Amino acid sequence: MVQISGSSERNAFSRWLRTGKVPSARGPDGLELKFNPWHDPADGRFTFAGAGRREGSSEAHAPSARNDRAPSAGNRDTSRTSTPPKAEVPRARPLAGNDRKSVERRSAKAQSTRIPGLRPDDQPNPVAEFVGGVGQGLYDVGEETVAGVRAALTTNPVTTVRDAGRGIASMIDTAIAAEDTPARVQISCAADAATNASARDIGRATGSVAGNVALAVAPGAALSKVSALRSLRIARPRTTYDPPQIGWVKETLKPDEPWTAYNDSATGARPGQAPTLMRTMPDGSKRPVKFDGRQGEYVIDRKWGVRDAPHARAQLLRQSQVLAQHRLIGTWEVPTPVQRAKAVKLLKKMKVTNIKVRVIKP
Amino acid sequence: MIAIPVARIIARFVVFADLTGEDLLDPDVAVEMMEVLGAQLEALEKGFLRELVDAFAVIAAEYSGEAQEVVRNIAHSFYLEEALAADDPVRLAELEALRDARD
Repeated sequence: MVQISGSSERNAFSRWLRTGKVPSARGPDGLELKFNPWHDPADGRFTFAGAGRREGSSEAHAPSARNDRAPSAGNRDTSRTSTPPKAEVPRARPLAGNDRKSVERRSAKAQSTRIPGLRPDDQPNPVAEFVGGVGQGLYDVGEETVAGVRAALTTNPVTTVRDAGRGIASMIDTAIAAEDTPARVQISCAADAATNASARDIGRATGSVAGNVALAVAPGAALSKVSALRSLRIARPRTTYDPPQIGWVKETLKPDEPWTAYNDSATGARPGQAPTLMRTMPDGSKRPVKFDGRQGEYVIDRKWGVRDAPHARAQLLRQSQVLAQHRLIGTWEVPTPVQRAKAVKLLKKMKVTNIKVRVIKP
Repeated sequence: MIAIPVARIIARFVVFADLTGEDLLDPDVAVEMMEVLGAQLEALEKGFLRELVDAFAVIAAEYSGEAQEVVRNIAHSFYLEEALAADDPVRLAELEALRDARD
């Protein structure tokens, strides 16, 4: 326990009023010193605020909402917006969820150490304590939410709208996901400690649960929409590629034959010419691969007949490879369903998936 | 038997298209010409096409190595048996099963 003079207390309090911060008290060895006025008269050990007896320069004080929120001159880590001072002994078991400020901190164990023979004037007003506890629980929930939103908006290095929304969504999702567990744990703990918990503890638990439920349920629709922004995390900017360079070569087929007319009538075709895509070979050299037309991202190859031979299979693989290199899709256009069936079977056999087949009658 | 000399002409043409290197003959052009040839063979009269298919098996012995394999497989690679059995679903199913088994 640290004894501080009245002047130091006034200076510290004045500084807290102006800055919201209280400088830490340091011992000769540099260790931070803290003050906890609450003790268990039975064994002299520290207790949580509101449990046991408060010791100080004056008479023992009954716990109240005010002294729970206001800083003590000896409590060096307390700010105006901080939560009630943390007890050092006994240390409360941490909660399974995120709500570290729940009623468990003033657990049933701690409450059980309360001395039954405490003087009546040391006991707080149960109604006032319950109301204060409700307010404190709601305050805690709101404080965490606002702090989370503020942190998401101010601490992200990239302050784009998307990132801000992502941070908010993440925080809100965490709050919603954690809502069930803290509520369940709090209710369970409150039930276990009901006989020993003070009215303030019960009120605080009620407020915390109500706050979490209100946060998750009341604005649920809006929150779910904001939450959907989290999907942007996996969205990556689409890479843009240069359009494929289509070359044209002269075709040698006799122009008045039906298969020549069929090939020349492909979408995007030029009579007597064939569009080509340049295939990059493993050694870096480039060789053209011929097609018959092009429609958007689909490169068309018209086939009067399908052949299942080594050269035809090699052509199929060449086309598939050059299409993959240019990020295009191929289309074989054949004149009859019989030819289509042959083509589909051949593509399946060669495990080519970036070439489709359709029937285009001559 | 006119089918034998015709089969030899076709076989020589197919061997040239299938076995000539890419440096001498554009492979896409070769495939396209073979596709046209296949369509023309399928359009032949069925009786003559039957004789041609049988002739390819005969003249394959005149070739050796990879060329012999090419000639022997002309009917298979051009789906000529399927063209002959176009009106026979049972035969078509049988040919499909044989093709799948071969692959």
